[in-house]
Amino acid sequence: MSVSANHLIEGLVEELEPVRALQPKNGMAIVCGLAMVAAAAVATFLGVRNDLMTGMADEMFFLRSGVLLMLGIATALAVVNMARPGVGKLNRGWIWALIAAALFPLTAAIMSAINMPPVEALRPMQGLKCLSVSGVAALAIGSGLTLWLRQGAPTSPERAGWLVGIASGALGAAAYNLHCPFNDIYYIGLWFTIPVVVAAILGRLVVPRLIRW
Amino acid sequence: MIASEETFRQLMVRAQGGDKICYSSLLVECEKWLRRYFARKINPAAIDDLVQETLISVHRKRASYDPARPFLPWLAAIGRYRWIDSLRKIYRHEHDQLYEEMVADPQDGDVTAKVSLERLLGMIPPGQAAAISLVRIEGLSIIEAAARTGQSESLVKVNIHRGLKKMSALIESE
Repeated sequence: MSVSANHLIEGLVEELEPVRALQPKNGMAIVCGLAMVAAAAVATFLGVRNDLMTGMADEMFFLRSGVLLMLGIATALAVVNMARPGVGKLNRGWIWALIAAALFPLTAAIMSAINMPPVEALRPMQGLKCLSVSGVAALAIGSGLTLWLRQGAPTSPERAGWLVGIASGALGAAAYNLHCPFNDIYYIGLWFTIPVVVAAILGRLVVPRLIRW
Repeated sequence: MIASEETFRQLMVRAQGGDKICYSSLLVECEKWLRRYFARKINPAAIDDLVQETLISVHRKRASYDPARPFLPWLAAIGRYRWIDSLRKIYRHEHDQLYEEMVADPQDGDVTAKVSLERLLGMIPPGQAAAISLVRIEGLSIIEAAARTGQSESLVKVNIHRGLKKMSALIESE
């Protein structure tokens, strides 16, 4: 062994402090906690949609909630597992959740091609509100997840960036979903997809710089 | 002789708990293992720096090791990450003699084969692997690599860029 390697090892040993092995469940607790805070804030400041309050929620609400939660949780799980690297340790379950979630915009696109919806069906003003509230919620969730991930050693910062963005976008949209009263496929396909896509792109652009090691 | 997988794992678990004697033994064993791991996959002049940078990453990221899992795949993931980072740094050097005596330790043959850098290089298209091997590992110039592979000079550059990007996305694949 070279002299410099010897000196380095002595220095590293001198610095040694006990550490707790990273636990992905702690990362998931942060994500779930922030998502619940976001949902509570939406319910408090914007209100819960009427049909849900009366216990007669539309079936589309449950489908939308389920898909967004499934996508958010699957991608967040992949992110927290990336904190502990290992050759042969692949996390690809999130791909299936993403494919399932893509059915909403895909169906909306096919339906639009068959029967062009009127502009009113897209409700641009409400859509922008959906985008901004989901975006703020996503920012909070994504920040918490990124801060937690900085402790780990993700070997693919770019993929981690995409996944942090998708997870936070989906969970942010799931929080706003409690308030959103619209059930048609055109609205959902457009305005619940945009926050996820925008958050994913921002995640890809911003997160890798923060987690590179 | 290099420590076994189980010895590595036990040393790391104790090091996470703050045991300096075990940590010192662990780093010495890691140094030996990494030196063999990187042999022939980096210019010999750069191997000391690469091994030391990897040891520093092991130190900084030791909390990311899961004590319930094998140690060497974790060390290999850290090593692959630092290796690709090192290949990204552009350098030109003389045609150094590779250290022929440095071969993978046969003691952990199966594990080493699964996590090897050779295997990672084999996951990208052959043209990209050849460009990376010739320019970034063997130290040929772009012109020399183009003549050797039959690729144009710009294709060699593109292949290096794409190959490194692809490998960095495949670090945890075996």
